[in-house]
Amino acid sequence: MTDLDYLKLSKAAKIGYDFLSFLKRIPMGIVRGVQKLFRSIWHIICLFGANVKDVVMTFVNGDWKTRISFLVMGFGNCARGQWLRGILFFLFQTVFNLYMFNFGMPYLAKFSTLGDIPTTKKGRVTVYGDNSFFILLYGILTIFFILAFIYTWRVNVRQNKLGQKYIKEGKRLQTGKEDLQSMADEQFHKTLLALPTLGIFTFTVLPIIFMILVAFTNFDYEHQPPSKLFTWVGWDNFHTLLSTGGANYGDTFRQVLFWTLVWAFFATFLNYFMGMLVAIMINKKGIKFKKVWRTILVMTIAIPQFVSLLYVSKMFAADGLINGTLMRWKWISEPIPFWTNAHWARFTVILINLWIGIPYLMLIATGILMNIPADLYESARMDGANAIQMYMKITLPYMLFVTGPYLLTSFIGNINNFNVIFLLTQGKPLSMELAGNAGYTDLLITWLYKMTVSDTNYKIAAVIGILVFIITVIINLVVYNLMPSVKNEEDFQ
Amino acid sequence: MKKFLSLVLALAMMVSVCAFANAEGFNGEIKVWVAEAVVDFTNQQVEAFKAAHPEYAGFIVTVQAVGEGDAASNMITDVEGGADIFGFAQDQLARLVAAGALEVVEEENAKVVEAENDAGSVAAVKMGDVMYAYPMTSDNGYFLYYDKSVVTDPSDLDKILADCEKAGKSFYMEINSGWYQTAFFFGAGCSLTYDTDAEGNLVAMNCDYASENGVKALKSMIKLAKSPAFVNGSSASNATNLGAIVDGTWDSNAVKEMLGDNFAAAKLPVVDGYQLGGFGGFKMLGVKPQVDENKLAACDALAAFLTSGEVQLARYNAVQWGPSNLAAQQDESVKANEALAALAAQLAFTMPQGQYPGEYWSLATALGDDIIADKLDNASDEELLSTLTNFQTTAGTYVK
Repeated sequence: MTDLDYLKLSKAAKIGYDFLSFLKRIPMGIVRGVQKLFRSIWHIICLFGANVKDVVMTFVNGDWKTRISFLVMGFGNCARGQWLRGILFFLFQTVFNLYMFNFGMPYLAKFSTLGDIPTTKKGRVTVYGDNSFFILLYGILTIFFILAFIYTWRVNVRQNKLGQKYIKEGKRLQTGKEDLQSMADEQFHKTLLALPTLGIFTFTVLPIIFMILVAFTNFDYEHQPPSKLFTWVGWDNFHTLLSTGGANYGDTFRQVLFWTLVWAFFATFLNYFMGMLVAIMINKKGIKFKKVWRTILVMTIAIPQFVSLLYVSKMFAADGLINGTLMRWKWISEPIPFWTNAHWARFTVILINLWIGIPYLMLIATGILMNIPADLYESARMDGANAIQMYMKITLPYMLFVTGPYLLTSFIGNINNFNVIFLLTQGKPLSMELAGNAGYTDLLITWLYKMTVSDTNYKIAAVIGILVFIITVIINLVVYNLMPSVKNEEDFQ
Repeated sequence: MKKFLSLVLALAMMVSVCAFANAEGFNGEIKVWVAEAVVDFTNQQVEAFKAAHPEYAGFIVTVQAVGEGDAASNMITDVEGGADIFGFAQDQLARLVAAGALEVVEEENAKVVEAENDAGSVAAVKMGDVMYAYPMTSDNGYFLYYDKSVVTDPSDLDKILADCEKAGKSFYMEINSGWYQTAFFFGAGCSLTYDTDAEGNLVAMNCDYASENGVKALKSMIKLAKSPAFVNGSSASNATNLGAIVDGTWDSNAVKEMLGDNFAAAKLPVVDGYQLGGFGGFKMLGVKPQVDENKLAACDALAAFLTSGEVQLARYNAVQWGPSNLAAQQDESVKANEALAALAAQLAFTMPQGQYPGEYWSLATALGDDIIADKLDNASDEELLSTLTNFQTTAGTYVK
């Protein structure tokens, strides 16, 4: 289809055509992705080979200083007068050896079983055996330490090669003092980033890897260190969560996932359009006391959700303010089951979330609406456009363009919107039809929370964590690439 | 490279800190977790203990306020970091034993506990034949509090509901809790118990919910949930429109404050021709497994002291926790308590609460939520029976 044909299509047909071409692109995209993957794997293999070759060649062509450095790190640097570097290399090697023999090796040796010595009793005194938790944690740490050692060793070899080459060419090597100076100068980025990198590794990367690995163990209330051991079980937990029948969670998982997506959709888009509507209404010429209306709405932001949501959840209870008042007015004869009926509960959390979310959107929308050039509206009016046309042709495209990324992040945020759900319902109502303590208003994230905190079911919780990650990544990638802000980057510039 | 060096040093430091944190001194610290209400009381009793047992005076005892539910959860999450002695309610016992967070009660102490405490509490601290904790109270049961000006006849549930409906007041009972729900099932003649071995593992389930009596109980609950006066709940301080509430001794002050002169307590009512039953419950003190023999002896002695008859009576006088000790129960001051009297009347119809797996409580909540959500309103007897069969089968799968 040529561009001209495309432009002739009606609006609906254009959307249909866009969607179809998107679907058509998917297989190609997958093929290209796989190709890319293989290419990167090949690239890594080549890189590895090149490194090995370089190391071997360094040894073959190296002098005796270089060759000793293969065993005693930093020897070559010291022998060539680079004392600081040499000592640091040597220190690293010493610390690594001490760590490995005194601490790392015992943990790493048991990493494949996560411990096999059970806790025993000697009389009434307890003698703890292996602690699977620490074996897993320190095992990971040790593996990373070994990787770091290999990398540093490689750097050490390269330093020797370069040192040898420079001396041959008659160049002078950098002294320790110059090294230190360069750390505050051309190497300053490394000095600055050392601490944050270390922090991110210890507090983010290590726990994430630990949690991912927990998904492949049977770490739960029956296998709780230090008294009990846990061990690897492969994909069993994924099987338990995803397959149906028996004691498996498949049906419940699907139900919770479905509600999570429905919730995220409504919580995002209802808030978005209602917030925009409120902002447009307040912005309209002729509305008096604009600041008063805004202040009233912003009050909900000022009160912490922990306070307001717990209070509101009491308000909607069977004996709460709302049911009590309606019954006193004789509008209803028995309480409306806001929290006890699955459909009502889902409706009520979305409704209450509107009350919390609209003020935020109103603030964002107010700012953006004021930015739309007034002459656009003026010329539209001259051309005889009505309010709805102006909204559809000017306001909405502009808003969507500017807030597209925000919509995406808030959709993802709502998938993980723990506060609202947990403070209002704790996932209730439960039902005999759902397994694993899940309720009808549980999101994946609140279900995960209940599993870790009240059920000590870490293994399944870890699997849910991984799946939540995969789901959000897929949504992110697909939606981000379809967004006007990304596709038509220059429309509003 | 410098980056790596700093990384290495920091790791080395972390590692050494971890290694040294595990070493413990000889005359160590004993950490005690009790509910906030009894922290001051426990501190006083610890002083008394030290005066009576100078041989343990070298141990530093710190008493911290950790609620009974949190204490059990925290212990399970981190046994090594948890308290040496901690208070909890008996529904947590199986979990704690399974997680290896409880040391077996010392033999001599166990004999004393067995002889001096009421039979229900002794049964509750045991798994199989092994005693894992010291009973501290025997007041964890529920009964009826009501407003005298609203409820005319507290012995019949239908009349209570009618009175509440007429007065526009609410009747509170948490029927979606596995604890309160048994009032109906046990009252109608059903039972649900689990057998455990000494390790805390469930070995068998005995349940006859899927029976004529079970259907009768379920129907009574459905009828109750249909009443406009019914509110699912058991916390008096959260109740806004209280006509009557099924609740325990811990809320007696809150109810008294709310109802003033109209305050009254009674055993649970009769419904559809049977007396409501339920659980008799207990609080207990546990000692966690110790690696040091001296400290274990000190912990044993302290836990035994804190649950002895005199201390239980003193605890009653300080914070009104009903004792499990037989001698203390016979004390005049204990007998004069209205709420405890109602509980004593109710206890005749209850079963001492044994061990239940954590999943049971969720399952019971699920059943209760289905009742409250009116899912079973128009169900035939066969459908109700199949719901209960489903319940019973699921409850049976927790036995491994």
